[in-house]
Amino acid sequence: MVRRLLLLVLCMFLLSIIVFFMARLAPGDPLQSFYGDALELMTEAEKDAARVRLGLDAGLISQYVHWLGQVLQGDFGLSFKYKMPVLEVMKPLLGNTLLLGFLAYLIVFGLATVLAVFCTLYEERFVDKAICKIGTVSYYIPGFWLGVVMVLVFSVNLGWLPSSGAYDVGRKGDVLNRIQHLIMPLFVMVATHLWYYAYMIRNKLLDEVRKDYILFAKAKGCTRTEIVWKHCLRNVAPTIVNIMAISVPHITGGTVVVEAVFNYPGIGNLAVESAKYHDYNLLMVTVLLTGMAVFVSSFLAQTINEEIDPRMKDMEAVRW
Amino acid sequence: MVEGAGTANELFAVVGAAACNEKIQKKKNRGNIPRREKPVLSMLILGLIVTSCLLAPWVANHDPAGFYLTALNTPPNGEFYFGTDALGRDLYSIMFYGGRTSLAIGLLGAAIIALIGTIYGCLSGTLPDRADAVMMRIAETGGSIPTLLMVLILSAIIPEKNIITLSFIIGITGWFGMARIVRSEVRQIRNCEYVLYARSSGGSFFYVMWHHLLPNFLSAIMFVVVSNVSTCITMESTLSFLGLGLPVDVLSWGSMLSLANRALIMNTWWVIVIPGLFLVVTLLCITNVADYLRREVNRQPSHL
Repeated sequence: MVRRLLLLVLCMFLLSIIVFFMARLAPGDPLQSFYGDALELMTEAEKDAARVRLGLDAGLISQYVHWLGQVLQGDFGLSFKYKMPVLEVMKPLLGNTLLLGFLAYLIVFGLATVLAVFCTLYEERFVDKAICKIGTVSYYIPGFWLGVVMVLVFSVNLGWLPSSGAYDVGRKGDVLNRIQHLIMPLFVMVATHLWYYAYMIRNKLLDEVRKDYILFAKAKGCTRTEIVWKHCLRNVAPTIVNIMAISVPHITGGTVVVEAVFNYPGIGNLAVESAKYHDYNLLMVTVLLTGMAVFVSSFLAQTINEEIDPRMKDMEAVRW
Repeated sequence: MVEGAGTANELFAVVGAAACNEKIQKKKNRGNIPRREKPVLSMLILGLIVTSCLLAPWVANHDPAGFYLTALNTPPNGEFYFGTDALGRDLYSIMFYGGRTSLAIGLLGAAIIALIGTIYGCLSGTLPDRADAVMMRIAETGGSIPTLLMVLILSAIIPEKNIITLSFIIGITGWFGMARIVRSEVRQIRNCEYVLYARSSGGSFFYVMWHHLLPNFLSAIMFVVVSNVSTCITMESTLSFLGLGLPVDVLSWGSMLSLANRALIMNTWWVIVIPGLFLVVTLLCITNVADYLRREVNRQPSHL
């Protein structure tokens, strides 16, 4: 537990180093992106003063130490594009992304489990084979294309659903309006991620139904459905939680694409925008915070895993 | 409790054996031992797409870089088979020239991933335990950052976008999983006599890797390598769509789709649907071929 916590801190430290140096080594003068066209009107002395003010004059390592110290105090610096503290820019968007990501996460794993159980019950039958084929196709359809096609069909031509945003102007508190805006992004998220996990759980379940205790349960008089739901699923639960832990970066990556397609005001969209406009500070913090969220959630999942299945403690793959 | 377990065991011995026999019998009677069929259709379609991309100058019937200003946003017709986009370019001709770029990025990206993943995995697998643990932790950390975010950073940093840099960006962010697979394969064979012999008789790391390790895990990673081609193609098109990949004037399936937003406003479905279908069909064919290369997992009959 303590060792894992230390590892978590180490991972975040590594991540911050990588992200910081990548952003600082990027070409292009940060002053350019901060002042834009006004830069050409500035004198050398003014430029130097601006560098000092933004902390760009020191060496890279002392810049990093300074930056890390400020980050630890909760000061993530300014966004060059918005001329606002990075956290201020991100704060109103965070809720939107969390809502989308979390809902997608729940639906994906809920459906994946149900689908996997269903496929296991009808293994190698027509239904199972059909679901497998459709699933593979759905997994390989690029998310952004599915999104654009859906906008084309349901917004542009049928006019049923709004094509972009998280809510219409002035209707922020309107739940129904929000749901309308969430349907298409959620559908794309679920459609492009579902099969990957359903297939993993299905394979795990198929291994499970070949074990000896199934015979005993059968001899006891349990029905097939009962066996899979009550016995197999319980034994597979740690694996599912494990998969859920690994899946966080995958699904987070999915939100980035989906938010960009549907112009959904969230962190992913912000990351794409800041990459386009070379707003390194904003991009850096976005990646850093997302990475941390991923590390923390995988840490949580492993801890939960040990609660569910104490055997996991001895099965840690790499020992230090 | 112990007694209960005993009865359960006996019960299982009787019921289990009978059930097993019955199942095996059934399987034998049906004779449905899983057989791998060659994905003929997928190979055919893939071959067709690849050859027409290679022979693009002969297949295309218009200049792919030409702007036909008199025929903006024309739906598919006899002259422009797939229609034209908002810039007046002939989609049918672009498709094959663009396919060259997309396939090249797919192949190059997959090659970079295979190269880095194999070397890293072999190193990690053959080094002492402690170094191995450190290297695997690094790979795990890298693998747990969303790939797309890393790609975003890199594509913001590298200003010049062409086939090489884009493949590099995609390759350098995608090798973590590969390294893990190679490493676990290498761990299983690293203490075999022939590997030890090769090392003790002075074989260098790369010699041992190429002659003794690689042939052993090649079949295990072949599936991953081929499916990486489709991952790289998807990544390229996603990036180009987001406006962070190839510019519109460099033709690829992704840069064709980067005009999708404009096509939405004009409601020109062919600009969106046709390149996307090409993309999806290619990806599916590659996947089917890759699936054929996968090692078959032998499953005993189900007890359910």
